[in-house]
Parts: sequence; C-alpha cells; structure tokens
Amino acid sequence: MKEERVKLRIYGMTCDDCVNTVSHGLKKQDGVLDVKISLKDGSGEIEIDSDKIEPEKLLKNEVFEKPSHYRATLMDQ
Amino acid sequence: MNSEVQKFDLVILGRGAAAFSAAIKASELSNGEMTIAMIGVGPLGGTCVNFGCVPSKYLLEASHSVFRPEHPRMAGIHTTMVKYEFSEVMEGLRSYVGHARDTKYAKVIENYSNVSLFTGLGKFVDKKTVVVSDSNGKDVAVVSGSNMLIATGSHPTVPNIEGLKETGFLTSDTIWGINDLPESVAIIGGGAIGLELGQALLHFGSKVTVIEALDSLLPQTEPEIGSALKMYLEEEGMKFYMRARVSKINKNGGMKSVEFITHKGNEKIDVQEIIIATGRQPNTEYLDLKTAGVDTDPRGLIITSRTMKTSASGIYAAGDCVSKKMFLETLAAREGVTAVSNMFGEDMKIDYESATWAVFTNPQVAGVGMTENEFSRKNGSCSCRIFSLENLTKASITGETEGIIKITVDPKDNTVVGMQILAPNATDIITEGAYAVGKGYKIDDIIATSHIFPSISEGVKLAAQSFIRDLSKMACCVE
Ligand SMILES: Cc1cc2nc3c(=O)[nH]c(=O)nc-3n(C[C@H](O)[C@H](O)[C@H](O)COP(=O)(O)OP(=O)(O)OC[C@H]3O[C@@H](n4cnc5c(N)ncnc54)[C@H](O)[C@@H]3O)c2cc1C
Repeated sequence: MKEERVKLRIYGMTCDDCVNTVSHGLKKQDGVLDVKISLKDGSGEIEIDSDKIEPEKLLKNEVFEKPSHYRATLMDQ
Repeated sequence: MNSEVQKFDLVILGRGAAAFSAAIKASELSNGEMTIAMIGVGPLGGTCVNFGCVPSKYLLEASHSVFRPEHPRMAGIHTTMVKYEFSEVMEGLRSYVGHARDTKYAKVIENYSNVSLFTGLGKFVDKKTVVVSDSNGKDVAVVSGSNMLIATGSHPTVPNIEGLKETGFLTSDTIWGINDLPESVAIIGGGAIGLELGQALLHFGSKVTVIEALDSLLPQTEPEIGSALKMYLEEEGMKFYMRARVSKINKNGGMKSVEFITHKGNEKIDVQEIIIATGRQPNTEYLDLKTAGVDTDPRGLIITSRTMKTSASGIYAAGDCVSKKMFLETLAAREGVTAVSNMFGEDMKIDYESATWAVFTNPQVAGVGMTENEFSRKNGSCSCRIFSLENLTKASITGETEGIIKITVDPKDNTVVGMQILAPNATDIITEGAYAVGKGYKIDDIIATSHIFPSISEGVKLAAQSFIRDLSKMACCVE
C-alpha cells in the first residue's frame, strides 16, 4: 500500500449536509482511506492508497457526476 | 507592487477566445464558485474580435457590396458604380468591432464576479505561480493557481527582409487603423489572411499583387480548389507571383519598391502599401515555459495531448499557442472548454478530424476532414468526385458558377472522410460535411437527406450522387 494525500477543491457545498454527502461518496470509493472536508474552504483532504487509485479518479466519483451539483478539481498537482 | 501572492483556483494566461470560453465553462461547471484570474494585454477578446475574424469579415462584406453592383451577373442588370467613402467604411468597421468587443466580451465578463482581470504579461516563476508585468516591465502582481491554462495566442510574423522595417508595412494587426484606400498593394504571403485582405482591397478598387513563396495557394486545400480560386481572383484583377522570394524593400519617392526573385530572375514592383501576411507565431517566448516544465515544438507552439494537457501536470493550453495544424477561433474556444472540462475530471478530447475551416474570399473556401491525397497516403486508396457549380441550377440562375464541391470517401464502404467546397456560401454549407465526417455518414445518407431545390446546398447532394450515377444523364429532380 502506498499512502498519498490529495487535496481537492470542492464546489457546490453550502451546508453540513453537503459535507456529509460528499464525504460519504468519497469514502465509498475503492482506494480511499480517509476523508476530511472543510465547508469553510470548500476543500477536502483525501488519503488514498495510490497503488489502488490515481488522484484524478477522485474527480470521477459519483458524488461529482451529474445529476449531483457538486464538482471538484485537484489542488496540488 | 502587491508582492503578496494572490491565490486562485484557476489562472488563465490570455484574454482571447480560448481564455473566455474556458473562464465561462469553468464558471458554469463550478456554479460561479471557481476563482479565476485572467491575465493579458491589449483589448479584451484578443485577436478574433479585435484584429482577426470580425474586422476581416466586415471589410470583405463591405467590399463585396461595392464590387457586386459594379459586376452584375444577370441579363438586363446594368453595371452600377457604387459611391462610397473608404474612411467611413473603416470608421464603421472600428465602431462595429468596439460594439462586438463590448457586447460579446467586456460586458459578458462583468457578469462573472468570480473572474478577476489582470492587465499585463504573465511569466511563470514556478509551475503554479505567475508574475504579471505592465508595459514598462514593472511587476504589478503575483498570482498562483491550482490549475493553469495557457491561452496566449499568436502574433503576425515579420520576415527578415532588407529594408522592410525602414520602409514600413501593415499587418493584420495594424491594417484596421487605416483611413485611406491604398491605390496599390503588395501582399507578401498568399495564405488565408493575405487572400482575404487582398480581395477586400481589390473589391474596393486597389491594385493588388500577391507575392507567394510556394507554387500553389492554400496548400491545405485540394489542388483543384487552390488553382480554381487563383484563377477566379486573377479574373477579378489580382496579380500573383508564385515561387517568389522577396529580397529587398525600399522607399522610392512616395512609393514602396518590392524586389523579388522568381524563375524569371529579379523582378520589382512599386506599390503604395505593403501588407505582410507570412504567417503567425505563438506568444510563448515571454512565458518562461522551461521553468514551468511545459514542452514546446521547434516553432515554440505548446505540445498538448488531445485533452489539452501539457507536459506539466496541472498546466493546460488552448488556442493559437498550441501545436496543431489549424488555427481558428472555433478551435480555440473548443480547446478552452476541453481543457477546463478535464480539470473537473471529464475525459473530453478535442476532435480535429471533423473541425471545419474556411477562407472567406468570394467564392468562399471551406473544408472538413481529409483531402484525397491525405486519405490515399494513409490508406492506400480512396475514391472522390468533383462536382462543378456550372451544373447546379441555383448557381446558373445567379451566374455565380465559379466553384466546385469535392467529396472524398473510403472506397471500402463509401463513408465520407473529407469534403471541400468552393462556392459563394461554402462557409454555411460545409456544416453538412462536418456532420458527415464527424458522424461517419455514407454517400447514401447524404443522398437520402432532403436538400432544398434550387440551392447551393443541393450541390452537396449532387456531388454525392455523382458517386453512383452519371449526372449528365440525370434530370434535375432524380433522387
Ligand atoms: C486576420 C485574421 C482573420 C481571422 N479570421 C478567422 C475566421 O474568420 N474564423 C476563425 O475561426 N478564425 C479566424 N482567425 C483566427 C482566430 O482569430 C484565432 O484562431 C483566435 O483568435 C485565437 O484565439 P486565442 O484565444 O488562442 O488567442 P488570442 O485571441 O490571440 O488571445 C491571446 C491573448 O493572450 C494574451 N497574452 C499574450 N501573451 C501573454 C502573456 N505572456 N501573459 C498573459 N497573456 C498574454 C493576449 O493579450 C491576448 O489576450 C483569424 C485570424 C486573423 C489574424
């Protein structure tokens, strides 16, 4: 296992419910180890196992796909 | 200078078509939350609206309004000399450009509170940070972005010809400021820009001479189209020197002398004005792309994948600064959207194969897909047909029979792989070719599609029918 921390900029979160929805969605993704979301900054720190998942794959998480209105981009590349 | 680094989600270097389409798409995808810095110099909107597509098409249309009544095509219509004031035409052009810039760019971007405009040139100091300097070279801001988009466009090249700078010349950047029609013009470069400007001035009444280094016009087109266009332009009075190399330019009284070498030896013409239209080069030198780790080709154009990603992660490029074959507003805008969509994790790829291109002379030239030669070189064989507008009812009614439609298909299954059109409204009807090439339609799909009779677009159907029957044995309404 190769642990890596990925920073996401997350758009569309307005309340704690949004934070829960996004966290929940990300945590379900294979290779995601831990998720910390900041509503204030509109960002998230995601621990991943980079043997299993590439950082860009996080952007394709169901929670960021239509009809969901949340979107994300990578912050540190 | 505010030396504090201003942080953004996206930094866009450029304020032209690629930059605007990217900024708007990014704002839409993030519901206006993505903070965007847009950096650039010169008027908002960049080349297309200020110095390119918009003024050139305005000038061409105005010139045709003068030329057409002076050259009627139909029986009983007499030659009418049009009164016009060139300086007022140019005033109208500049006013229209100002209006288009305001309504399509300046006012539009005001609606995006997430976009901050910076005036100055940007240079990378690291992969994520750009320093912005004003026209005196003074640093005015430092901005950083999680994602970067380079959309810095291009500028006209000026060849190193003895005496050119001292003598003075116009380019597609500066011609829009003139108020007097030059009585005679030498256009150095017979590409799309040179021919469009040349025909516009010719239609207003200038004597126009084109000096071209290659032996054919518009090398990206089918040879039949390039040579037919040359012939029509010559019939209108444009003079061409092909395979000619300009060696020296100097002032000669009130005139400008252009010396050049052709197969005949040294030749010389005296003209009132010189227009340089020898191509464009990317605005990438200033950016310090090495520092950012962004690779370029030998011409300085940025190398990207079809996703518009550069060699440096998190840095994308779009528009005329990208290494590719065609440099068009439509592609710049599409590439901007592609880059931004991929920043959001999509898998969008730019489709150059079914991108349409055009030259707005009259007749216009437009094309999509591969030429006959390109397809056969790649696949060993191909099948094509050329349909002349002389056999088209609409064209023969109006007398505008100068033109051809060429369709190239894959002989295996008659799938359309390329279409080029030389016709009065080629730029409008080429969209049918774009659908055909983009969607993989076959000749039968075009034939089975309803086309208005009589129209120029019917020519596309007839060109398709010529693959299956001899058109000279066909009544006008055979399906
Ligand atoms: C005469 C002419 C006619 C044309 N006609 C047509 C046509 O009919 N149809 C068509 O599709 N295309 C046409 N084109 C091509 C079209 O204009 C271009 O493909 C298009 O405008 C390119 O857009 P862009 O955003 O890549 O670059 P541009 O619009 O050139 O924008 C580049 C931007 O980058 C900025 N910049 C430069 N350097 C830096 C730096 N270091 N830092 C920050 N910013 C920087 C500039 O200030 C500018 O804002 C024509 C071009 C010309 C010249």
